[in-house]
Parts: sequence; C-alpha cells; structure tokens
Amino acid sequence: MLPILNIGPFAIQLPGLVILIGVWLGISLAERLTRIITASDLYNLVLIALFFGVVGARLGYVIEYWSEFSDNHLNIFSLNLDMFNYYAGIGSSLIAAIIYGQRKQLKLWSTLDALTPFFAVLLLAIAISHFASGNAFGAPTHLPWSIYLWGTQRHPTQIYEIILSTFTLVLIIIWSKKPLTKIDGISFLVFMALSASTHLFIEAFRGDSNLTIFGIRTAQIVTWLILAMSLWAIGKRLAGIKIY
Amino acid sequence: MEKITHKRWTLISTIILLTGAVWIWISIPPTGATTSGKIPAPQTGFLAPDFSLQDMDGNVVTLSDLKGTPILLNFWASWCPPCRREMPAMQNAYNQYKDEGFVILAINSTNQDDIDTASTFVSDLGITFPILLDTYGQASKDYQVRSLPTSFFIDQNGTITDIVIGGPLSEALLRIRIGDLLEKNS
Repeated sequence: MLPILNIGPFAIQLPGLVILIGVWLGISLAERLTRIITASDLYNLVLIALFFGVVGARLGYVIEYWSEFSDNHLNIFSLNLDMFNYYAGIGSSLIAAIIYGQRKQLKLWSTLDALTPFFAVLLLAIAISHFASGNAFGAPTHLPWSIYLWGTQRHPTQIYEIILSTFTLVLIIIWSKKPLTKIDGISFLVFMALSASTHLFIEAFRGDSNLTIFGIRTAQIVTWLILAMSLWAIGKRLAGIKIY
Repeated sequence: MEKITHKRWTLISTIILLTGAVWIWISIPPTGATTSGKIPAPQTGFLAPDFSLQDMDGNVVTLSDLKGTPILLNFWASWCPPCRREMPAMQNAYNQYKDEGFVILAINSTNQDDIDTASTFVSDLGITFPILLDTYGQASKDYQVRSLPTSFFIDQNGTITDIVIGGPLSEALLRIRIGDLLEKNS
C-alpha cells in the first residue's frame, strides 16, 4: 500500500493519481475502439461529464452545508478533496452528458457501447487505487495468500478486484473488436452484468461491508439488483423490445 | 447471441440470479466479523492507535485517557507551509467548540522539526490547544503519516471517523467535521 508518493517537496496522493491516469487511458482506449460515434464526440462527452461532475459535487456539498460557507465564500473554492457530495456529482455529470448527447444527437445505447471500454478501464483504475490506499480491505483470514493490513492478516480483496477487473477489461476489448451481436447496447449491458457479478462475488470477502437486515451485505443487494436489471435489459434488447 | 431464444435467456438469467442470491446468503458474515473498529489501525472505522506524548510544558497526554471526547488529531511541522496556514482555522474552531467538549491535539513531528522554531510559531499565533512532541517519530509511524499535515477525526468511542491527508484544512470543512463528531457525541 502506498497512499502517498513523495517526489521532492511534493506529496502526491497515489490513489487519486491512479484514477486520473485511468480516466486518460480509458478515454484513449474508447477513442481507439469506437466505430459508432466519433472519437471527438466521445472525448468531449467524457470531459464534459467529468467537469460538471466535479463542479456539481462541490456545489452539492456547499448547498448541503451552506451555513458553514455563508460567512466565508472563499471556502467554496478550497482545494480540500473531502468537500464533495458524490450524489450531486453523479447527478450533474449525468445531466451534462444527456444534454451534450441530445445536442449532438447521439444514440443512447450505441454511445454506452462506445463508452464501455472507458468504464472498464475506470473500474480497473479504482481497483488499483484501492490497492494503493488500503481501502476496500478484506476480512481477517489465515489463508496462505492473505496479506498483513490494518493490524491483521486479511483477504487481499484489492488484488481480487484487480484480477477480476483486468479479466473484464480483456473481455471488453476482445468483444469491441469482435462484437457479440450487432444489437446496440449489448456490450454495455454485458459489461454491467459482468462487473456487478464480480463485485457481488468479491464483497463476500470484504472486512468493511455495511450490513443490512439479517446481516446481509448492503453492497451485495445493490450489485444483485444491477445484475438483475442488466440481465432483464439484455433479454429485452435481444428480443427487439424497446426499453427506454 | 441473437440466436438465444427469449425462453432460454430467461432460464439463464434465473440461474445466474439464483446463484447470486445463494452466494449472498452464504456470505453473510458472522456477527462482529466486519466490525473493523475493534483493533487499532490508522484507518477510518478502526480504533485510533494509542500514544503517550509530552506537551510543550512537559505534561504527558495519553490518547486513551480522552475516551468519551471527540478529538482532532493533527500531525504538523513548522517548516510545512500548509500546516502553518491551517493552524489559525484550527484555533478558531477550537475556540468555538472547546466548551462542547471538543479537543484538538496537534502532534508536532519533532523528530524532523526544530523545536525552537515550532515553539516560536505556536506562541506567535497564540495557539491554546495542546501541542504534543513526537520526539522519536513513534506516533507518526503508528499513524503511518507519509505527508504533512495529516488530520484524523476521532469520535467519542476512540474510532477514527475521517482522515484528511494534506492541507490546509478549510475552516468550513473543519466546522462540518467537528459538527458531525459533536452530533454523534450528543
């Protein structure tokens, strides 16, 4: 684990750097593999979504805690990375992407297919960032491949995540070159089903899961629902039924 | 893939979802297995590692003695510009919340700082919260501090609720985090 990389007087937060590199590599890969929408549309779409995502996340946080910002507006522009509301960020990012897509008359399913390699690289980057930070850690175990982390031997869940995300990415690249089907949206939906399955599997070994009723891990419920929706949508798309 | 019939796809989906549901059920952790806060580690959700350090007046402060109190633990050094810039905001927050039982412990990385410079800086700024001296760097090692400043927010149970690496901490963020800690304490 290496959360901070010290280079001379600079202390670089490695998990953040890994995600930035992931975004860049993801856009480059998606641009190279896309056959449906133009590389420049894809690039602009991702950058616009990211920009409005960051701005929206900070604005959401400021609105949520307005009383703390009302007497010192300069704090709104603080470089603290902890001052983000992620739901607001995701919402504003989606809205910006939808508006851009409509203006450019991009088709939803084919755009999502074109973006799939980007999402796959981003998931791998997130897995590597977990490895760098030590977050998303495993439950205690004495298995031979356990790693010493946060005071005890644990499942190397970050490594499980990296292996399965790499596997997913390789499949996505293969399928981008030799598509499973000509039906739009299937690549994206298969990717969603695959990544939901891998996270549903890995969550069982996590040591930091939030639990819900009967002690069930909340993230597994969420990933199971995403898996169910993806499988349902694949079925509908294959049958030629419009679902949006 | 177009050749898969709707009926067959429904069957495949049902098998996948049932397998997923069984996996969820068998991976229910035993009670307490995912409670990470039982052992000390410098990570959110864990117990804050204990230490005993001297302050600038020679008094020994032990973290575990302060259990029941929300704490901001801040690692700093006088040569570190963001550490110096965030100190006034911390002092303001301390003035505002100390009567509600909030404590700031600012741990000076004395093993890599000049104690006279640090002392002058503290008195020039009129800092009133305890400045602890990590003379041998043991506390920095236990908290795996790799960058200054690094701040740990600790709740009344001694559990780390948030870690902020780097700075300067904005006053807004400080007040929000302290407010969360005090709300939990009440």
